[in-house]
Amino acid sequence: MLEKMSTNQRVILATVLSLLIFVAYDYFFIPKQPPKQSETNTTQYVAKSAPQSNLQAPQSAPATSQSSKVNESGATKLGTTTLLHVKSKRFEMFIDDLGRIHQVILEEKRYKTESGEQIKLFDEAKLPKPLEIRFSDIALNEKAFKVPYSYQGPKALDIKEKTKITLTQDLGSEKVKKIVTIYPDGHYEATIELQKGHKYFISPGYRPNVRVDGYTLHGALIKEKDGTITIIEDGDAKGTEIFKGAKIAAAFDRYYTTLFYDFVKGMNVIVSKDAEDNPILFVEGSPKLTLGGYVGPKEYETLKAIHPELTDVIEYGFFTFIAKPMFLALLALYHWIGNWGWAIVALTIIIRIILFPLTLKGMLSMQKLKDLAPKIKEIQQKYKGDPQKLNAHMMQLYKKYKVNPMGGCLPMLIQIPIFFAIYRVLLNSIELKGAPWILWITDLSSKDPYYVLPVLMGITMFIHQKITPTTITDPMQKKIFTYLPIVFTFFFLTFPAGLTLYWFTNNILSIIQQLIVNKIFEARKAAQKEQHE
Amino acid sequence: MIRMAILKLLQIYQKVFTLLSYGSCRYYPTCSEYAKWRIEKDNLFTAFIAVILRILRCNQLFPGGIEYPVIKKELKDVKYKKIDVHYWLIPKGRSKFILIKNFKGN
Repeated sequence: MLEKMSTNQRVILATVLSLLIFVAYDYFFIPKQPPKQSETNTTQYVAKSAPQSNLQAPQSAPATSQSSKVNESGATKLGTTTLLHVKSKRFEMFIDDLGRIHQVILEEKRYKTESGEQIKLFDEAKLPKPLEIRFSDIALNEKAFKVPYSYQGPKALDIKEKTKITLTQDLGSEKVKKIVTIYPDGHYEATIELQKGHKYFISPGYRPNVRVDGYTLHGALIKEKDGTITIIEDGDAKGTEIFKGAKIAAAFDRYYTTLFYDFVKGMNVIVSKDAEDNPILFVEGSPKLTLGGYVGPKEYETLKAIHPELTDVIEYGFFTFIAKPMFLALLALYHWIGNWGWAIVALTIIIRIILFPLTLKGMLSMQKLKDLAPKIKEIQQKYKGDPQKLNAHMMQLYKKYKVNPMGGCLPMLIQIPIFFAIYRVLLNSIELKGAPWILWITDLSSKDPYYVLPVLMGITMFIHQKITPTTITDPMQKKIFTYLPIVFTFFFLTFPAGLTLYWFTNNILSIIQQLIVNKIFEARKAAQKEQHE
Repeated sequence: MIRMAILKLLQIYQKVFTLLSYGSCRYYPTCSEYAKWRIEKDNLFTAFIAVILRILRCNQLFPGGIEYPVIKKELKDVKYKKIDVHYWLIPKGRSKFILIKNFKGN
């Protein structure tokens, strides 16, 4: 069927197909507005048992969700009353009467939902909450969810420096003491002391539920002793997985995280799963356990200030190895220039400058090629119908005269990882969320609302094609070539504005470069003409 | 299986991606063609390494030109009968052969 279509029809078909893929991708992977959490607490007390693992003593009980029923019948529902309210310049933290971090609201101006409210990190219905303790002993575990923690001290704290709070729970056969030192930047140190040393687990909490979408990763991340990073995405949790001596255990969405860390002794991390196969993190407890923790946005500099290794929590997916240096370069440029959009432009120029020696060699080679023009024509005539042979003979000619006009596959292929790295940086870096460029571009991480940049990108691409001499002789390919800017414009419509900005800048630089090359050619031609006369 | 999948991918790449950068390869055979030959006739691991090295060499710091894949192969159980020629093997040192595709044969 394809053979029967005209070139035009094929191009249209290709365009339509690529658009369809895009629309389909949007439809299936773009976040659907999560259903509003109902007021009922039916889901709240599901699976409140300790994770099963072979780390546990053999008496470990069958951990089923049955134990949760007790709570629903109970007269008072614990875990909904705020025991303590901690406020700093950056966040507002609510600690409930089960000694857990119930909710964290980000107080900074940039952390606002679309409706203008400050962002709440946690989904009220999701368990566990950060610092939630679960005992292996079922009876004790049930009791632990029925007896409230007590706390002596002011109910509301406005912290400017690290502040220590002590929470205690008397379970009769066991006494729990949680000493939490909270820092104004959102990290904390928690010490758990148990009088009798019952076996228990403590969780950094269910992941924040603010930005969950199909474009970016969300789930759990564990950094092990030897530095390997394991990511268990939502929906992929297999049941119980154990990581011994891990440094970091983080639950995260696109921009936010709640995590535990211990870089000295390491933690035994157990990953269990919920009904949706999302990973739930627990750390094995000990009679006196000390952990570091953090709740908040995955800001590079905040995390680095707490501990440099914590920046590993910022994941860019497959291209992390190139995306991370890319982000650092952008960050440095941002500090210098003060605008993320201009930082992207500057970075594009810098990448070009790095690749310039290659480009220069190519330009010089092209000048030499002009002298070979008659010979090339001869070969082209001779092997008109046989592209393979033509190609081979051209190569022979180039070799003989030590020229090669082609750019090469590497400079072209290298664009792909750079492109994806910038894409990932734009999507995954909280710093770029809501970062403006100029005029109408108010958020580089989302699409251009007026589609000006994609159109400009298409136009510059077209201009670049027009002024670049091509070797294309096949009319079909020539046609497709001219349609390419249009196809690209459509592709870029929904891309983050920052990415379009990168490609647009790149095009402009290509045009400038090509104009210079063309100028040199003309000058040479003129000079040769003069010589002849 | 893997071989077929990669070859298919390469074919799609040649059809689609070449449009973006028509005729940019500095070599004959082109990097993608080179990859196809290698994957068809070489063991997968060495093929991958060779292809990666080839792509790394394919930039303006290297001269480019004609460069056929050279593969290691032991010839044994050679049967003498009429066959379709897909590749020519040109001896180059001990059990090494220059690989040249026969385009006319197909």
